[in-house]
Order: sequence, then C-alpha cells, then structure tokens
Amino acid sequence: MTNESTDQTETAPEDDLSSTIWPQVDRALAGITARGEAGRIDLIVHVPRDEVIDALRRLKTDETLSFDYLRSLTAVDNEDEGMDVVYHLYSTTTRHNVTVKATLPNEDLSLDTATPVWKGANWLERETAEMFGIRFHGHPDPRNLLMPEDMTDVFPLRKSHPLAEIEILQGEGMGYPEEGA
Amino acid sequence: MVTEPAYEFETQDILLNVGPQHPSTHGVFRMVLSVDGEVVRDLVPHIGYLHRGAEKLCETMDYRQGIGFMDRTEYLAAFNAELSYVMAVEALTDIEVPERAQWIRMILCELNRLSSHFMFMGAFGIDVGVFATPFIYAWIGREALIDLFEEVSGDRMMFAYFRPGGLAWDVPRNFKQRVNEALVVAEQGIKDFDTMLTENEIFVARTTGVGKISAAEAIDWGMSGPSIRASGVPLDVRRDEPYLMYDQVEWDVIVGENGDVYDRYYCRLLEMRESVKIIRQCLEKMPDTGPIMPEKMPRMLRTAPGEVYVRTEAPRGEYGVYLVSKGGNRPHRLKVRSACLANLQALRDMSVGQYVADAIVVLGSIDIVLSEVDR
Repeated sequence: MTNESTDQTETAPEDDLSSTIWPQVDRALAGITARGEAGRIDLIVHVPRDEVIDALRRLKTDETLSFDYLRSLTAVDNEDEGMDVVYHLYSTTTRHNVTVKATLPNEDLSLDTATPVWKGANWLERETAEMFGIRFHGHPDPRNLLMPEDMTDVFPLRKSHPLAEIEILQGEGMGYPEEGA
Repeated sequence: MVTEPAYEFETQDILLNVGPQHPSTHGVFRMVLSVDGEVVRDLVPHIGYLHRGAEKLCETMDYRQGIGFMDRTEYLAAFNAELSYVMAVEALTDIEVPERAQWIRMILCELNRLSSHFMFMGAFGIDVGVFATPFIYAWIGREALIDLFEEVSGDRMMFAYFRPGGLAWDVPRNFKQRVNEALVVAEQGIKDFDTMLTENEIFVARTTGVGKISAAEAIDWGMSGPSIRASGVPLDVRRDEPYLMYDQVEWDVIVGENGDVYDRYYCRLLEMRESVKIIRQCLEKMPDTGPIMPEKMPRMLRTAPGEVYVRTEAPRGEYGVYLVSKGGNRPHRLKVRSACLANLQALRDMSVGQYVADAIVVLGSIDIVLSEVDR
C-alpha cells in the first residue's frame, strides 16, 4: 500500500493539474516563476522566496480567485534542503484552497512579512519566527509570541534542536545547580 | 473684567494588568490595558503561559500516540480536535473509514459542540455579571453529555477515542437510547438559556453594540467559527467542504448581522439547536451494526511521503492539522491551526474604545481555550 501511494505522488503532478485551479493561479501569477504540484487535498504552488509576497497579494486581489482568507502560516524544517514557509489560503467567495510554499536556504532564513496582505499573519509570523528562527522583514511587532521574550536564540521546532534542551536552558536561568555539581 | 483662568489638566493613561491568573481570562491569559478613565485606549495581549510544545512532542511519537496530545490542546472539544488529527493521518495513509464509524464520529463531535457551547453559556454569563446562575444551569446540560462521553470513551474530557481508521472500540449497546436521553436534557438546557438570557433586558443592554467587528475585518484577521459567523460571514467548514457525513444531513448555517457580542452569543445558541437537529438525523441514518474499523489495519502505521492540511469545524472555529510526512511512523512536522489564536488576535480591534468591563465581556464572547491558543 505504501509503495503504490508513493508512486502516485511522484508521477501524478504534471497531468492532473488541468482539473485543479492551477490554470487560473498560473494566469494570476504571470511573470512569477511559480510551479504547481497536485497535493492530496489542495493544490500546492511553489514560489521563489523573493516574489512570495507579490504572489500572495496577486492571489488575494485576483478577481476570479480572491484568496482573501489566510488559514494558516507555518514553516517546515527540511534540514539540509533549507526551510519551507507554507501559507494555506482559502477564498470565502469561490471556496477554493491553495497552498503556497517558499523555500529558504539555510544561510539566509529571512522573508518579507505578509502582514500588509492579511492582518491575521501577524501572530502566525511571530510564532514561526520564534520557533524556527526565520526573520520576517518589515514585521510590525517582531517579539516572541509563545516563548519568554528574552529567549531569542533558541529555536525549538528546528530539527537540530533536541527535546530536552529548553529545560536545561531554563534551569540555568533559574539558578538550578548544574549537572554533576 | 474677569476672565476665566485657563486651566489645563494633564491627563495620563493608566496601565491596568489583567491576568494571567484571573477568573475572567478563562485560563492563563494576560492582557495589559491602557485605560483613560474607564475607556480602553490600547490592549496588549500576552499568551504562551500554557505552551507545552505539543507540535514538537508529536514529531517524536508514533501516529497513534499523537491522539492524546490533540485532546490536550482543545480540552473542551476533544472529539473535534482528535477528528482533524486522525483525518490527516487517514488522508496520508489512504485508509477508508467504515460508514458506521463515521456516523458515530459525527454524533460525538456534534454532542461535543453542545457541551462546549454549554460551557460558553455558563462562563459568558459570569463575564457579563450574572453570577453563578447560568453556570449552574450550564452544568446540568453539560454533565448529561459528559456522562455519555464517559460511557463511550472511558474518560470525561481526554477521550482518545478516535483512531486512524475508525474508533478505539464500539459504542455501548444502548448508545442511541443514551444519546436521545442526553439530547432531551440538552434541549431543555438550550430552552433555559433562551428564556434566561436572550431577552433578558440587562443582558441585552450589556451586550448589544459591544465589541463590534465588521465582516471584512473578521476575514482579514482569519477569524472562524461562531465569532466570524456573527459578523455575517457564512463560513462553516461543515457546509463549505463537507467531511464525515455532513452532506447527507439537513441543517442551516447560523449567521448573525451586527458582529457584536450579543450576536456571538445568539449565534452559538441557535447553533446548538442545529446540532441537535444534526444528531437526530444521524441517529436515524446510522446503521445499528457494522464494522467500526477497516478489516486490515497495519500494526504500525506508516505513511507515504506527502503533506495534507485537514480542517474541520470545531466549536470555536476551524481546527486545522497540517501534517508533513517523509515516510515512516512519525510526522516530520505537525502544525495545529488554532481557531482561538486567530480569534484572539482580533481582540484588540474589538476592545479599543470600549469600557474596561466590556473588554472582559468581549474576551468572553470569543470563547477562548488557552491551551488551544498556546498548544
């Protein structure tokens, strides 16, 4: 069962896209080097990171698509292949869904903010920033959201971060005796 | 000639800290209000007191172990939270859920919506200033439902009853009868609240026109659930993208007009009636016997590489699970889209310009569960 479904995801994309909203998305994103991929539920659109905000704004303002609702914004740590920032968009009028992805190289984990496009991106970007160490240029309020405000050098959701390390760091701060002391 | 001396008083906004441990903050939530007399000029919310890193923990665990963490994110509507998670795992593993299991899931999710809204009614009554009476009344309906959940799952709140593929075990033999009994209590409870609050003069005066948010603003903030429907946006995942058997039952999406606190209350009340309607239809259509799990389930769940974003309509709004797999028996990344986080973001816009006492009412009206906000 596992093997079959693996094959599907690898070979399906190119042909299946005509039945999705990819043609409309492609037209809305004319001039941007976007690449479509058929996801299991929603269409996935890969966009270069320099153009991602432009792409999101066009998807929002395009008359036939009007992706006016930001469902979710997060990141995925792919270790050596960099990090993906993932936007899940929804249109309250046409009820279409699309997933927009931008890959950041590990050397430069930064991206423009999406807060001018959707206000709701504010806290989602703050959370993504503190958890993954991604900087969102132009964010109006780049403080930590869930973590203590001075904990700006620890990124818990990165794959390189072990589960127990935060507790040790907090322990030091609170003056607990060091291990073995 | 005598002239009035021109006095100039310097005024200063006072910072007022509410929380983190305060009954009206529904958990551990802190907000710093900047008040000019009684009027809120600014509001800075502070969250994160309940952050336990559920997303990171799920990455280190087997798919079936993650169910427990979902219960603990959304503890007032744990069935709904589990549902998103197991549906995400099912989407990645291509497991077909038997029909009977889907009906049972749907009944339990709607019952959970009822019990969660009862909790809202009670707590909201206290926020508005009707001390204790609504809370006790809410408990009658909620207790009947929670007893039923305990009979089905073995636990009152942390059910862990849904599994990828179906259910952990079959429901008790008298399930339909017990649901009907609980519904009778719940319907009486809804009627009680309707007579107690809906046309209560003080309640109406206290809530009408307070904490308004427009439809466009609500969409921009990414609000969902009754909080956005009260602003006149008919956004409901159950109808827009039907899952389970929602396309086979008839019900209405309740939409408000003004987007104020009263509408957010009234939308929830009417929604409870719709839930009762849905459950009654489910009980009719649900087969009495049949499998609750597919015949062949692997001992160890392994998913194909891929990603899904599964969303369902929880009582507080859209509960989404973004699951990325690179193969194997553990998620590569699991993200919980919290409805309360998005709703809470709009709190500042709703509260600025209101009285301090009304800011508490506005906070109560979006019905936050802090453990879902912080995860």
